[in-house]
Amino acid sequence: MNRGLSFLFFRRFAAGLWPTGATVLASRARRHRPGPGALLVAVLVALVAFVPLVNSAGVPPRSVFLNLPEDQPAPEIEVIPYRLPSGEWQLKIRTEHFQFTTVCVAGAPAAAIGHAHVIRNGVKVASAFHPIVDLGPLPAGRHRITVVLRAQDHRALMANGALVQQKITITVPLT
Amino acid sequence: MFTQLFQPGVRLKRILTLPLCFGPSAAAGHEAWLLTPEEVEALAAAPMPTAFASHIWLGLATLVGGLVTLTALRVERTFARLEDRLTVPLVRSALGLGPLILRLALAAMLVLAALGGLPRHGTAMWATPTLFVPDMQLSLVSPWWGWLAAAQIFLAGLLAVGLLIRWVGAALIGFAVLGVLVFGTAFLSYAPHFAAPGLMLVLAGAGIFSLDRMIGRDGWIELPAYQVQKLWRLCQILLGAGFIYLAVVHKLLQPTLLIAIIDHSTLPTFGLPLPVMALIMTGIEVVCGVLLVLGRLVRPVAVLLIVAFSVFAVALSETPFFHANLYGAMAFLVLSGRALPSPQPRSKRRLRRALA
Repeated sequence: MNRGLSFLFFRRFAAGLWPTGATVLASRARRHRPGPGALLVAVLVALVAFVPLVNSAGVPPRSVFLNLPEDQPAPEIEVIPYRLPSGEWQLKIRTEHFQFTTVCVAGAPAAAIGHAHVIRNGVKVASAFHPIVDLGPLPAGRHRITVVLRAQDHRALMANGALVQQKITITVPLT
Repeated sequence: MFTQLFQPGVRLKRILTLPLCFGPSAAAGHEAWLLTPEEVEALAAAPMPTAFASHIWLGLATLVGGLVTLTALRVERTFARLEDRLTVPLVRSALGLGPLILRLALAAMLVLAALGGLPRHGTAMWATPTLFVPDMQLSLVSPWWGWLAAAQIFLAGLLAVGLLIRWVGAALIGFAVLGVLVFGTAFLSYAPHFAAPGLMLVLAGAGIFSLDRMIGRDGWIELPAYQVQKLWRLCQILLGAGFIYLAVVHKLLQPTLLIAIIDHSTLPTFGLPLPVMALIMTGIEVVCGVLLVLGRLVRPVAVLLIVAFSVFAVALSETPFFHANLYGAMAFLVLSGRALPSPQPRSKRRLRRALA
């Protein structure tokens, strides 16, 4: 009889049915299993806690801009327009602390290397992979030209919190 | 880098921007290229909106979003039987129509991407082949990866005719992983949204109007039903996690960009300030992602996302092929719901006979 009872206890214990500390905890955990709302709340609370900390740094969107590190010398740009004897216009882009390259990559390093975008009257007209850009003949009138330095992955370079760019105006007289 | 970071003199800004190291390293959201040069210049100087930088405002927005979602979860329980009754025809056609829509959408997207027909803004049509999406230009990586364009065309052909679809699904999962290896973390924005449709095709097969069905090769996968359902849930988890990632990395952490894009688009704002509009859009994406991860309100979420993509595509004058993979996956979820329907016993017998 005694042997039979102890054997029964053993079997119940082995099967995890005996209310040991572990099984009690497991059954409590089952009873208080988090519902779907718990994950929702956890995600939302994590976002509320984390996002303002990052955004308070106030960096511009990194999908569009590449911030150059402060320990690097900031690139400088000077744009000189000139008219060829043929009547066509060219731009000479003089830069300092910046290197032109024809190579574009998917993820550019935070370095002053890349190309320039040339924008005329609000419309991009050329990507300059060299310091000389051919604009072709320009019609008479005023032309607002902006040249912006871009990284190898086409993001706009930013140094000291500002775009590295120069704006000039070309006035073509009536012939 | 990490030793420098924890030096006593390190700036707080650098610590706060550390989490960005785990996000995409380069340009990833294709919407960024819709902006004009003036808009980009304005964006460089745009101040961070208070709604995205304040614990209080973001907390209040979260509270509202959380309450709306919890209410919707309650409503789901109430209308569960009604949904089951109304969606019987959808469920019946899920295994036939669902894979058809998904594979045709994927085929169109793959062939267009491979031929340069889905160019990013400012790039000529048919000039630059990409991997799946406009941002991932194959010209930006080693020329050795040029074969990916040809492989996409090959897969698109198989998807269109419905041949070896489960293998094609497995290949799509492989390509999604390969994309992360080739393009780096920038591809994390897209990988789950191609791996999940791939897994859907592995589980569901080719569907109607496919060579696989005609030659009786659609039924070779013989997994226990509970494993199929677990993998189907994994599809939803991948889709949901993808949306949460996109919402956090591209919207919550770059709100000025989202606001610039809304401003650029013809999206109706109903008189709301742009930061509030951006916050609502981000909230919807996060909540939809969480619900898909949980496998709750799957059909309503899928319908809502289809509508959202369509409205946004029209407002930004984008082609719907930019999101064809998601249209296909969401259409499949609308048909099937949370669980993948199991084939009818009669069709199972027919398939076994065909295989024998």
